[in-house]
Amino acid sequence: MRLIRGVVLALVLLLAATTGVPVLAQSQADQPGSGKTYLIGTDVTFAPFEFQDPSGEFVGIDMDLMKAIAKDQNFKYEIRPLGFNAAVQALESGQVDGVIAGMSITEERKQKFDFSDPYFDSGVVMAVRKDQEGIQSYEDLRGKKVAVKTGTEGYSFAESIASKYGFTIVPFDDSAQMYDDVKTGNSVACFDDYPVLAYGVKQNNGLKLVTEKEPGASYGFAVQKGQNQELMEKFNAGLANLKANGEYNRILETYVGENAAGPANQSRLGLIAESMPILLAGLGKTLLLTFVSLFFAFFIGLIFGFMKVGRNKWLRGIATVFVDIFRGIPLLVLAFFIYFGIPQALGFTMSPLVAAILTLSLNAGAYVTEIIRGGIQSIDPGQLEAARSLGLPYRKAMMKIIIPQAVKIMIPTLINQLVITLKDTSILSVIGLVELTQSGKIVIARTFASFDIWLTIAIMYLIVITILTKIANRLERRVRVG
Amino acid sequence: MGKIRVEGLKKSYGSNEVLKGIDMQVQEGEVVCVIGPSGSGKSTFLRCINRLEDITAGRVIVDERDINDPKTDINKVRENIGMVFQHFNLFPHFNVLKNIMFAPVELGKQSKEEARATALRLLERVGLSDKAEAFPSQLSGGQKQRVAIARALAMNPDIMLFDEPTSALDPEMVGEVLGVMKDLAREGMTMMIVTHEMGFAREVSDRVIFMDGGYIVEEGPPAEVFGNPKNERTISFLEKVL
Repeated sequence: MRLIRGVVLALVLLLAATTGVPVLAQSQADQPGSGKTYLIGTDVTFAPFEFQDPSGEFVGIDMDLMKAIAKDQNFKYEIRPLGFNAAVQALESGQVDGVIAGMSITEERKQKFDFSDPYFDSGVVMAVRKDQEGIQSYEDLRGKKVAVKTGTEGYSFAESIASKYGFTIVPFDDSAQMYDDVKTGNSVACFDDYPVLAYGVKQNNGLKLVTEKEPGASYGFAVQKGQNQELMEKFNAGLANLKANGEYNRILETYVGENAAGPANQSRLGLIAESMPILLAGLGKTLLLTFVSLFFAFFIGLIFGFMKVGRNKWLRGIATVFVDIFRGIPLLVLAFFIYFGIPQALGFTMSPLVAAILTLSLNAGAYVTEIIRGGIQSIDPGQLEAARSLGLPYRKAMMKIIIPQAVKIMIPTLINQLVITLKDTSILSVIGLVELTQSGKIVIARTFASFDIWLTIAIMYLIVITILTKIANRLERRVRVG
Repeated sequence: MGKIRVEGLKKSYGSNEVLKGIDMQVQEGEVVCVIGPSGSGKSTFLRCINRLEDITAGRVIVDERDINDPKTDINKVRENIGMVFQHFNLFPHFNVLKNIMFAPVELGKQSKEEARATALRLLERVGLSDKAEAFPSQLSGGQKQRVAIARALAMNPDIMLFDEPTSALDPEMVGEVLGVMKDLAREGMTMMIVTHEMGFAREVSDRVIFMDGGYIVEEGPPAEVFGNPKNERTISFLEKVL
């Protein structure tokens, strides 16, 4: 027991140390006013409409507009940076009240959502690598690959001309990845919304624009069809006021005007140092997620593990089904199902953190169940017989004779599960959870420094996992001796 | 009124019937050896006496309690029946002393101090006083089995069951274990012993039971069963092993 207390203490200290760093303020609900706080979903990497500044604050045209409109109309809101696809799905499933994410107003989307008055007229342009001279027009794309971002107007446009000009589409989930694909030469060009690409080029993202803007749709703020009409009215009224008093133009000017700020002049190390607070906060979330999930997984594993080795065939059956289901579903699918699927079907909302913990706990719980079952069954049945023949009840015999021996056998596999679960947390970035991997995506969306940031993140994972493995090995030695 | 009464005992594993109807009694203080070819059901029979095996039909009555009756607290009955296994089954994570003290303390029969005193006395009795702090992995087979006997005796049982206690031992260690068992028999312990040690069975037992094919084929005083066997199968078995 002393050993277990020691472990728990060590974990708590580790958590405190890593989460103690300044956590980014994602809540901007400091506006006065009454009534409910609206949850607004947005993209994480869609500069200049939404992106994080070096201090971790979400800024951009959408963010500034939302802030100004909320102030003008006197309502409270909270920003949920989920990523574009996740934000749209979250709106569909009622997880958020509205989405502002440079979202083009299309006929297809109007089937599901109500849109505000357009707040920005966009269009699609094509960009290529800065030193690329061979691609000047759509004709030059024949036989080549073109990167696009799923769900965007750039995607629809590229799709509509793909067969005419004979190129292949490579879809990505966020802008930074799409640009990287072009920079590394996998794709020769990308299509994206004009303001986004123009801003990126200005921030030195390594690309250049080569075509004129294709006139396209306008951006609008969206709510679920027929829902949150009050919020929609406020948005429209606020937007009209901002346009009338010049605030709207001032916001646009800040990001896409002639005098908009260029890239900050910074060394590579300086950039990494500047990103550290955000990355460390992400790492804290990763560790929190890992340990909370493993804690639950261990209990789930204990319960189902005992059911699996028990004498009741119904309980054995239930445990077997549990393991088969949660070991059989890919983690990514399970995360989507829990975060988007269940709330949509049952009509309630769930925070990404809760969904992530649920996902990891169930997944790891299935594996821990098997670890515990295997550990217990690896103990000679003669041990239980000897204990029972002395008159010890089943429960006592299990707790005092079988489990202590099984634990020693289970420790290496449990350490392995800890490492796997820690790495699996990166998958949860898909539901917008800002853990280490997602923090990296956010930083890269602003800085475009893929190599430096991904390298930094890889090293951070490596260091943490190495430290945890060393602690665990030490523990294992002590248990073996003791 | 026997200490142990077995009536019409049958035991099957699926469609394989291992015990096909056994009736017998063991009197208080009696030492009974069960012999027979492997696969004859002797060990299964012994394991039915303390319900390590659930029976298919019949009754097993120990100290006037039907041990397969759901109303019987089997744990209480087992406290009174010590068992020694072929493969010792010592608890590897406890030292010798703790192996012996564990059950009496855990079940509230004795305080730690009492249990410790009992354990040391029992260790002296089986000749292992110097091994109190050793772990099972540091002991020889014969030493392990003597500790196992001491562990069973620590609960102060009326009955001791031995399931081939010397079969897993090197020949030179058989004697030390049989010696301890002989002492027990002399002190009047009720014992059932499944064994292949014919000399021991002849010397120590009050009665010998010969089992074959799931039945008791022949039983009687050792001099009779070994000296003048009646049944054909007993004769052929004894010819092979003696």
